[in-house]
Amino acid sequence: MAKNISRREFIATAGATAGFAALASMGLYSGWGSNDSDTNSDQLDSKELNCDVLVIGSGMAGLFAAVKAHDAGAKTIMVSKGRLGSSGQTPFAKGIFEFGAQKSNVTLDEFVKQVSESALGTNNPIYTRQMAEHSKARVGELREWGFFDSPLYNKSFNRPIKDRNIPVVERVTITHLIKENGKIAGAAGFSIDAKKIYFFNAKSVILCTGAGGFKPNGFPINDLTHDGTIMAYDIGAKVTGKEWNDGHPGRSINPAACYDGWGDMFEQKPNTTSVSIRHDLGVDMNYMAYQQGNPIKMGHPGEMNNVTLEGGPKRPVLQGSGMESEKRPGGKRPPKGKGAPPGMGGTPVGGSSAGMAIHKSEGLVPINDRCESNIPGLYAAGDALGSYMAGAIYTQIGSSLAGSAVQGGVAGEAAATYASGVKQLELSVDKKKELKDKIFAPLSRDAGYSPAWVTQTLQGIMIPNFVLYIKKANLMQAALAYIEELRDHHMPLLRASDLHELRLAHETANMIVSAEMKLKASLMRTESRCSHYRLDYPETDNDNWQAWINIYKGKDGSMKFEKQAFDSVRRS
Amino acid sequence: MPINNISGCIGCGTCVSTCPTDVIRLNKDGKAEIKYPEDCQICHLCRMYCPTDAITITPEKTIPVIVSWG
Amino acid sequence: MKNSIKNYNKWAAILLFFALPILIYVLSDFPRRSILKETISILTLGAFFVTMLQFFMSRAAKDKLKEHRMATVIKWHKVLGYIVAGILLLHPFLIIAPRFFEAGILPQDAFIELITTSTQGVILGIITWMLMLLIALTSIFRDKLGIRYKVWRMLHGILSITFITGAAFHVIELGRHINIPMLWLISVLSILAVALLLKLYFFKTSIKA
Ligand SMILES: Cc1cc2nc3c(=O)[nH]c(=O)nc-3n(C[C@H](O)[C@H](O)[C@H](O)COP(=O)(O)OP(=O)(O)OC[C@H]3O[C@@H](n4cnc5c(N)ncnc54)[C@H](O)[C@@H]3O)c2cc1C
Repeated sequence: MAKNISRREFIATAGATAGFAALASMGLYSGWGSNDSDTNSDQLDSKELNCDVLVIGSGMAGLFAAVKAHDAGAKTIMVSKGRLGSSGQTPFAKGIFEFGAQKSNVTLDEFVKQVSESALGTNNPIYTRQMAEHSKARVGELREWGFFDSPLYNKSFNRPIKDRNIPVVERVTITHLIKENGKIAGAAGFSIDAKKIYFFNAKSVILCTGAGGFKPNGFPINDLTHDGTIMAYDIGAKVTGKEWNDGHPGRSINPAACYDGWGDMFEQKPNTTSVSIRHDLGVDMNYMAYQQGNPIKMGHPGEMNNVTLEGGPKRPVLQGSGMESEKRPGGKRPPKGKGAPPGMGGTPVGGSSAGMAIHKSEGLVPINDRCESNIPGLYAAGDALGSYMAGAIYTQIGSSLAGSAVQGGVAGEAAATYASGVKQLELSVDKKKELKDKIFAPLSRDAGYSPAWVTQTLQGIMIPNFVLYIKKANLMQAALAYIEELRDHHMPLLRASDLHELRLAHETANMIVSAEMKLKASLMRTESRCSHYRLDYPETDNDNWQAWINIYKGKDGSMKFEKQAFDSVRRS
Repeated sequence: MPINNISGCIGCGTCVSTCPTDVIRLNKDGKAEIKYPEDCQICHLCRMYCPTDAITITPEKTIPVIVSWG
Repeated sequence: MKNSIKNYNKWAAILLFFALPILIYVLSDFPRRSILKETISILTLGAFFVTMLQFFMSRAAKDKLKEHRMATVIKWHKVLGYIVAGILLLHPFLIIAPRFFEAGILPQDAFIELITTSTQGVILGIITWMLMLLIALTSIFRDKLGIRYKVWRMLHGILSITFITGAAFHVIELGRHINIPMLWLISVLSILAVALLLKLYFFKTSIKA
């Protein structure tokens, strides 16, 4: 109630006078969600769960990972920091690509070839093909579960999960992956509702934790901070794609209002999309704003390609694709909608998805086409996997959702197969104690920095157009100096007063590491290509940069970088 | 205020779990309360999932907003 | 004289059970929603106030209604009774009805979620909904019940007291348009309503029909 009067108190008094005190004491609330966190971490409860395959994340990728791992015979548990089908980016995506549903004159080979052309070679054709090949089957299953019948996905996602009795642990934030003897052994995290730490003993783990950003304004990704990537990096996994950008604009009026910025799209039922290859949502608009200032001059954002500006990101000339005919930057929306994508409704502003790269370009490095990482037993799928399915620019509309579904399925089966061949590793008591202390450390700090303040500081450093969008070495170095300060001095002193803030503290730490990765990878890539644009290296350098950048933690704990050639991908 | 008002709440808790950024909690009366408005991303999932349609949302953010250019 | 008292009663009723709630509704900063939703709210709120008014339009208020023709009063009591019972019985469905016309959770899912929520306000709502159904059925089929009129009247009164008590708590606990003035108005009117009937039972055990 808005007025802050307690109806319960009123009823208790009124009830007592009227002789109905019993009614008032009838309350059946268990205190769920009340978050009255006592910050004494010694009193924390812990819960231990065992499974063959642990799926972290409950978006499109998590759904299929859990279902397919279960169907392949693995005892599967799903855990998410949010709710099934109502967390991450999945709830907001309304167009899913279905290859070969309608009669099309594009063959699978042609499709892959066209994507590679538009992506300037940055895509991994194995994953591009896999996505298209399996999309129809996944879309079919979704249809069966009622996915296309409602704008809200919790119910349809629950169908297959309930049918299979797959346990879903919601509102538990995973903060650590656990490795024993060089193999994955499980994960740990905490509940935001009760003072409880969760240990999952798992033979195999699939990260379906989505992408992330700097809690930007205008794109509904404020629950995503690349958690999966950072915890995997911490135990030695290789990650990639940190130099790319998702260039979604927002609106200048109420830029933080995601719902309003997307017109009526969040209220639409999902739909399927068909072949239409594009080169969308890079940093063209950022370049225009950088050169011209605000407001950007154009009829509507979709016409930006007609405005001739000196220099700026290069766009490939594509033949036989939908790119020339459709010019809306919000190309990821389904074809039928009537709402406007961000920026269409007024003067656009940038950075609505700051801190996020093109879907599927950033995340764990797969060592094969089975979504497997370099850590035995650790898999990733969807936005958490750096599969380069679409390349370093948006190519096929609706393929992000389809790719998450397809990769979830692939990873689920692969993880189940892996799990059937290994033994469960026990977590040692020492390890558990150590994790418990680490996870709850921000709660026990008397003095420190609030995650909100550190986040805003980081946003001020990273979001401006001239740092990660229109890049040049000296500014990135300057930003890096700030970020390293946050990393060395503020990250260790993040403080939390309750469980909500504890989650923010962990998210903030992940954003700091992400920012470091993004700046360093961007500095390393001394060329411009797709959604990575450098003012000091505006040309595409095919001699040196037909390669992805992989990032891993060195033995000394420092951040290491390596190149991986575009054509070096293996199939299993 | 992003989430402006919650009235007609029956205390089912759906909005609490539905909110991706954990903005809403149940108060001691068992009613949904806008506890962390500064973290609201104004995505309207809570409103769309609420069985009694109790939630009203406005597009303003409670804290300063950082964008890439302005 | 007769007429002026009649008028006075009428105006008092209109003021207390109609004008005052509307005034509170208009002056308060309740979120204004779509016309359909506001209409449904006003209809339901109105039905609840008329339900409280029903206590004062019965033989329990005979003293105050001396100047009125009791038969007319009872006729109105019946007509209004069936109308508000209808609205209140529809009320749980009216809450979810707008979902037929807008995006969001499906109305049937909303309904299931609604009635399976085990909080005090909802449980009271379900109990009072059943009481309302019982009141309506025992009124419609009064002749078929095979009980004496006086017994029926007692039954009707007791059911009504239980109903209005539970309903008042339900409304105060869950009402979309509850603020402090509304809360007081409902509390006072419902307590008066109950008191009126109780007085009848405890202090005038034998009234002539
Ligand atoms: C507004 C918008 C519109 C879009 N439109 C389209 C479209 O039309 N078509 C299209 O194809 N794509 C679209 N996309 C992209 C698409 O939504 C994503 O690519 C896709 O949904 C990703 O699915 P996912 O399962 O990989 O990750 P997500 O859906 O992001 O799920 C991540 C999951 O991981 C969980 N998680 C994260 N961190 C943790 C942690 N530490 N502990 C536990 N759990 C954690 C989250 O709670 C969440 O459940 C859109 C995205 C947005 C934001």
